[in-house]
Amino acid sequence: MVEVFAVASGKGGTGKTTSTVALGMALAERYDVTVVDADTGMANLLFHAGLSDAETTLHDVLAESAAVEAATYDRFGMTVVPCGTSLDGFRDADPARLREVVATLAADTDVILLDSPPALDSRAAVLPVVMADRAVVVLQPTIPAISDGLKVQEYATSYGTDVAGILFNKVREDGIERVAEKTERYFDGPTLGAVPESERAREARRAGRPLLAHAPGCDAAAAYRRAADSLTVRDGASGDVADRFRSAVIPEPP
Amino acid sequence: MRLPQGRLRKSRVVTDPREPLAEVLDRTVTGYAVFEAQDSLLLDADGRGVVTFEDGVPVVAYHTGTDRGGPPALADLAVPGPYHVSVFELDAADLDPVHEVEALRVPPGMPAERLAGDPALADSTRRAAPGERPTVPGADGEGDHSAVEAFLEDEDKIAAIREQARQEARQRAAEWGLNDT
Ligand SMILES: Nc1ncnc2c1ncn2[C@@H]1O[C@H](COP(=O)(O)OP(=O)(O)O)[C@@H](O)[C@H]1O
Ligand SMILES: [Mg+2]
Repeated sequence: MVEVFAVASGKGGTGKTTSTVALGMALAERYDVTVVDADTGMANLLFHAGLSDAETTLHDVLAESAAVEAATYDRFGMTVVPCGTSLDGFRDADPARLREVVATLAADTDVILLDSPPALDSRAAVLPVVMADRAVVVLQPTIPAISDGLKVQEYATSYGTDVAGILFNKVREDGIERVAEKTERYFDGPTLGAVPESERAREARRAGRPLLAHAPGCDAAAAYRRAADSLTVRDGASGDVADRFRSAVIPEPP
Repeated sequence: MRLPQGRLRKSRVVTDPREPLAEVLDRTVTGYAVFEAQDSLLLDADGRGVVTFEDGVPVVAYHTGTDRGGPPALADLAVPGPYHVSVFELDAADLDPVHEVEALRVPPGMPAERLAGDPALADSTRRAAPGERPTVPGADGEGDHSAVEAFLEDEDKIAAIREQARQEARQRAAEWGLNDT
């Protein structure tokens, strides 16, 4: 069984990486979870998962200079595939190989979360959304964030990817329920949760630890756990999983 | 809403309403900004949004296409961009009659927070707001989501945004050689 989720939003800073790691940790209580930093141009998942000095990363795998196994790390109950941050690493990486990587990982896990790039403006940027079975759309309760989220949904559905749900993050005020209810009408998936803006989240990032490890008792962590609980992971057809990703759309290197 | 003609300070096309809001705050402009959508694909494109400022801090908002004021006017002027924006200076006394119309008022941080999606800019705008205006999120409607809700109630606009994204996704899929086999 495997289901691949892209954690996506139209732009940066909404909390995709924070959410990927938090949902991953929460889901790891029920599933075998693998999180992948698929934002290969602006990788930062490594900083959220205590892997800033990881020797081998997804960059090396995408450059065909390392096997996937060499870039996987067991951290916080999950399998983590960090990506490097150097420009050289990015230049040498072939984003199209991400399909192979996901296919390999899919053979041996229940849930794959792809931390996705904050844009939809290139083949490489849309690839995680294209490959995923479903997308979790991270939103802030603002007009541009919701507009961008709608855009992500249209791209996803155009490429055959469903929407698993929407997740509000960095919520600062009361009344999000009404916004969520109105937003939900335009999305193909339910509201998974509303995560409050939280100093704990910023602290966790500075400490290089996932929010759920740094402050498991805080409101934001609780909201992430509830969001993960409301996510029903679907049974993929495990036999042909690898084929599924290998035969997905084939983007060429830039 | 009627305003005397101001002195044009700047006129240009921006992709994001954040830029003029930040600049007006930075230069403590007293006057108004006119936002005009460049994209005729979307509804309300013929109308113009007006936001007034006192010392760089937003006071009222109005949209000429929908004739709505206050937070809903922010929703009306919101488009996925780009905008043509003109900033005009006007004496505070000339703005007073309009600023006294309660129904047109927007909380100081709301344009930055909800229209531009920039909480940090919203916070600095609130800090710059005079003492008698609500500055704390949650106080006196400052933190409310009404502009976002008004945006979400505009089904035609949202349908247009989705349709535009759909077309773009398809067109790019063709350009990028993606196909959903
Ligand atoms: N709920 C939250 N409250 C406060 N800060 C948050 C929250 N979620 C994320 N952040 C902070 O916002 C910044 C951007 O988050 P990140 O997850 O890296 O976003 P993205 O991956 O979408 O660019 C980080 O500094 C992170 O610590
Ligand atoms: Mg990120």
